[in-house]
Amino acid sequence: MSITEVRTEPRTPAVKRKRRPHLRRNLPGYLMLAPFLALFAAFLVWPLLNSLYLAFTDFNGIKPPNFVGFDNFERLWTDDARFRKALGNTSLYVVFSVGLTTLLALALALAFRTTSLRDKTMRTIFFLPSVTSSMALFLIWGWIFDIEDFGLANTVLSWFGGGSVAWLSTPELAVPILVFISVWGGAGYGMIIFVAGLNAIPEELYEQAEIDGASPWRKFWHITLPLLRPVTTYVLITSLIGAFQVFEAVYIVFRTTASNVGGVLDSALMIVPYLYDMGFGKFELGFASAIAWTLFIVIFIVSTVQLRLTRTLKDL
Amino acid sequence: MRPARKVLRTLLAAFSVAAVLTVSACTTATPQTDTADSSEPAHLVFWNTGGDEEVAVLRAVADRYIAAHPGTVIDIQAVAWADSHAKILAAATAQEGPDVISGGLSWGNEFGALGGMLDLRQFGITERIQPMVAPGSWHSVEAVDGAVYGVPMDMTLYLFYYRSDLLAAENITPPATWEDLTAAIEHFEGKGVENPFVMTWSTLSWLQYTNFLKQAGGDWYSDDCKTVTVNSPEAVTALNYWADLHRKHGAPNEEPDLASGLESGDIVMANGGNWNLSGLDTSHPDLAGKWDVAVLPSGPGGAGSFIGGRILGVMSYTEYPAQAADFIEFFYTDEAVTALQEAAQANGFLWISPRAELVDKLVTTDTAKAALKTTLQTAEGPPNCPGWDKSSPDIDKALQEVVLNDADPAAKLGEIADLLTRNLTG
Repeated sequence: MSITEVRTEPRTPAVKRKRRPHLRRNLPGYLMLAPFLALFAAFLVWPLLNSLYLAFTDFNGIKPPNFVGFDNFERLWTDDARFRKALGNTSLYVVFSVGLTTLLALALALAFRTTSLRDKTMRTIFFLPSVTSSMALFLIWGWIFDIEDFGLANTVLSWFGGGSVAWLSTPELAVPILVFISVWGGAGYGMIIFVAGLNAIPEELYEQAEIDGASPWRKFWHITLPLLRPVTTYVLITSLIGAFQVFEAVYIVFRTTASNVGGVLDSALMIVPYLYDMGFGKFELGFASAIAWTLFIVIFIVSTVQLRLTRTLKDL
Repeated sequence: MRPARKVLRTLLAAFSVAAVLTVSACTTATPQTDTADSSEPAHLVFWNTGGDEEVAVLRAVADRYIAAHPGTVIDIQAVAWADSHAKILAAATAQEGPDVISGGLSWGNEFGALGGMLDLRQFGITERIQPMVAPGSWHSVEAVDGAVYGVPMDMTLYLFYYRSDLLAAENITPPATWEDLTAAIEHFEGKGVENPFVMTWSTLSWLQYTNFLKQAGGDWYSDDCKTVTVNSPEAVTALNYWADLHRKHGAPNEEPDLASGLESGDIVMANGGNWNLSGLDTSHPDLAGKWDVAVLPSGPGGAGSFIGGRILGVMSYTEYPAQAADFIEFFYTDEAVTALQEAAQANGFLWISPRAELVDKLVTTDTAKAALKTTLQTAEGPPNCPGWDKSSPDIDKALQEVVLNDADPAAKLGEIADLLTRNLTG
């Protein structure tokens, strides 16, 4: 009998019976997944798709939404100076926050990578901000940068003869302060990831390089960095996504400096706080949804470019 | 995978997405139109925008209302200012939540225009309440079409605080005009005080600027909201004066700690909210007897200032609209105002009722009472014109650019006027 003849034979009950055990075998798995899938669909998929729909409407939260096509996106990109300001601030923040956090995390990982008590203690200390309530942290940062004498930043300045600085209401300082807070809070988490990556690099490679007379810098540049590439990519991408979505730091630290979200002259205005303000402050939920999807597109493009760059560098 | 199964799965996925999108479109909240009255005793839920300490104060009013309306239950919940706007919006969207809310003076018009709150005129209470309320604050709560979605619950005023001992030592009377204020500031600067005058309560925003705009004789809009009037010579005068207080006389751009500053003498004079009246002596006992309060200095156009406060309104989905409106009207009775003032006093703060004549019953100094009564006569709330709320962030930015970046005041006021005009017509 030829293969063709076998293939053209009608399905026999024996073949059908083979599928039923397959289904029976997988059914418990699907049933166990069902609760998660239900919650996933209800609290992630549905809101996501609903938001996509609302982005093309003028929904204000109370009256029924009217379809307005691309009006929200057109307004956002051509007629919204505050969005452009938020986008500019966010871009600046992302570049410096992600870059400095990654560099500091790597430096800390290199410095405290061993299993000695000293290194373990230091890693714990630097990791503490990651496990502390972010609300509490940002409230304290707000007090640190307060203009009053009890503001720690001004107190330290006074020790060196400096005068009081209005940290949070000086527009030029807004993004640097947010970057500083972000680096301080995020470096510990990145450090842990890098330590894991560093400890996965075989020691033999360093030993061979040592025998060949490689300097510490050459070992770092030619062994450590290339082999850390997957970890570095992960840290960069997760930091990037988080940085684009910054909200609490702006909302809590700068909430008292101006009546608007984003501080004086919108100097601390980022995309997500702006989205929040438009949605829940101004009742423009359709417009806020358009901002959210614009942010998604921006993050998607930046992440894709970054991944392509990483692959290209790897190939080189 | 077999091609047929692949196609089937793709079709299934596409159908699911389409189904979810369709359900999304159909299930987005639509406001209920059924607000049937109930003759049975009401169970009212009242969300108060403010702190927990105010719940006890409002409870005093609620208990008196309940005593007069047996069977009625009133639950009062405090909602922080920072969260209240979003929470009320969520309640209005979900058509579920409180029956009565308190919130910012402009919130009634905001939520009412969207259909989230009821026009109180239908219950007849606005005709009885309006004569009792200062015209300046009533104008803010009345929509352009005459609808009243919220009535004032309490008032918040700007007052002029000063170190009476320091001024007396220099033979300076409390400044009554801009010229007096400038002279006093320069005098203390000459004596080495770095920032003798500060502005608190929305330091670098349109609220603070509104004080000077009114004092210069200017305004944001015409009374009928048909014309934007902020690009006027009076407004330029006001903006220059206000900006110079920051630029030339060092008024901080960020809100300082008024009590500590007054105590140390770093702050000699300040404008700030009336809530400081009850807090200063309590938090800084050393200040007792050393400070006093007056009305804000007048400008070329006379006296004027911004008045804030909260409104009381009824949510559109409530099952007890008539009872909710009746409870709101109860806030204006002598009995309720007395209860509010006594309960607030017991909790360490002053309750400024919209009924100006009852300020005399407050437990505070005579000068404070005089300042409050005088200010209530000339203060005005936020504009009630369409597009105002939407414009306020850009207005703040334009004003800040004058103060911080030396932008041309006339040019910036022109930009503000263009913005307000665009948003006025939608």
